[in-house]
Amino acid sequence: MFPIQSLAGIILAYLDPGSGSYLIQLLIAALLGGGFAIKTFWKQISAFFRKVTSKAEPQPQEETKDEQSQ
Amino acid sequence: MSNLNKIASSFRDPSGFMFRRDGVLYRQINKHYQNQYDKLVSSGLLDDLWKQGLLVKSAEVDIQPAEKELAYKVIQPDELPFISYPFEWSFSQYKDAALATLQIQKKAFEKGFILKDASAYNIQFVNERALLIDTLSFDLYIQGEPWVAYRQFCQHFLAPLALMALTDIRLSQLMRVYIDGIPLDLASKLLPGSTKLNLGLNLHIHTHAAAQLKYADDTSAKKQNKGQMNRNAFMGLVDSLESTIKGLMPKGVKTEWGHYYDDTNYSDSSLKEKRDLVGKLIAQASPKTLWDLGANTGYFTRVASEQGIFSIAFDIDPLAVEQGWQEVKAKKESQLLPLVLDLTNPSPSLGWANQERSSFLQRGPADCVMALALIHHLAISNNVPLKTLAEFFAQAGKWLIIEFVPKEDSQVQRLLATREDIFPDYTLEGFENAFSDVYRVRAKEPIAGSKRWIFLLERK
Repeated sequence: MFPIQSLAGIILAYLDPGSGSYLIQLLIAALLGGGFAIKTFWKQISAFFRKVTSKAEPQPQEETKDEQSQ
Repeated sequence: MSNLNKIASSFRDPSGFMFRRDGVLYRQINKHYQNQYDKLVSSGLLDDLWKQGLLVKSAEVDIQPAEKELAYKVIQPDELPFISYPFEWSFSQYKDAALATLQIQKKAFEKGFILKDASAYNIQFVNERALLIDTLSFDLYIQGEPWVAYRQFCQHFLAPLALMALTDIRLSQLMRVYIDGIPLDLASKLLPGSTKLNLGLNLHIHTHAAAQLKYADDTSAKKQNKGQMNRNAFMGLVDSLESTIKGLMPKGVKTEWGHYYDDTNYSDSSLKEKRDLVGKLIAQASPKTLWDLGANTGYFTRVASEQGIFSIAFDIDPLAVEQGWQEVKAKKESQLLPLVLDLTNPSPSLGWANQERSSFLQRGPADCVMALALIHHLAISNNVPLKTLAEFFAQAGKWLIIEFVPKEDSQVQRLLATREDIFPDYTLEGFENAFSDVYRVRAKEPIAGSKRWIFLLERK
């Protein structure tokens, strides 16, 4: 990440974000940001459990090879 | 140097512009963008996006800039064989373009950048994937600032996709009317009321449109609310746009020609014979580029693309183009691009001074044009005189592979069943006379199992 705060003012936005779009984006994003945090957290938890359970189960590699050779 | 060689669409963003010199396409990066460009390179973002096929590749070149006093660097991007426009895309192409834009935004965010614009015109299809063609679309992320391209993304991507999926697939054509995307109040009116129950569509289209109307004149909004959007909120916004778009699928409407190959005048063997014949004529013309007009899903276009000839399968039917694109992706066909085009009203030149987006013919010519089982639709359904047709094809390409479908053919009989036959010249002889003014006949072959003929013609 760059020291971005010092760069304020030389940002090159050439589009007008629009007053209504700007304001509603702040509101929508505030609402969605919470959901996104929960979703990310949940993904991390489920990824952890998937990792744990996949380690516990043996890989059926030999069977797959046999099937392919038939 | 004058601006004469500047690419006409390249004027909005002061970060740089495209220009052409000695037939080669370049992009000048202005001093204005020096800081951003250097960080794009040093952060590794350009490399990452190139590796993932999400951004057009470019190389810095040591040539005289087009506008020296403004210039920082000149880069030479890989040139694409054809630039397509959003209103020429099928639903899945459009969806791929939208998701690629969001994926790029997410990758950029990880490196401290944002997309400062989200124009659908910045996306093209290369190697069966959507990629960004504007290297200067990135800006540095400032903590707390909202996404400056949010409105543009909703207008250019979300609104057209929602309308195509939930109102009518043909509404992509609204992009032809509105150069900066479909106004959200219009999208909100056209979408079914039930879409208000979809959280993403409710927020990003309906509520967004209402806010635009309510706060249109509120000039202090930006100043009063500066820096109020944290990183998580930014990522949540992009994530929500992504999941909303992923959830959109069009209704499975079948169109008249959607199952053309189940409903032709060809048996399997004559279809193969016709394919072989087309292959022979393509080999004789030996083109580098081919436009197949009225291609349906691209069955015959593939004869060319499979030989490594860059080919475009144009068809009026968005569902045929959809099927063609699905096949391109499934088979990883890098040389084939299916696109939607109504030949009776082809894409016009659009935008500022009518020069921002080029017309269908301006984006040509192709080396070879193919018009199989098409002529009766244009000459009879659309009343285009045969001579006028010949002149049009001659503008589109040097070589023409064209199938003449006579009146006795059941497909022509079907078109004539509900109307007066006012086409006394629509005969094999009339066809040959009309086309002989602009073309020389290089091959003429009957198509087995039918009364049709196929010609290879070369423009005089």
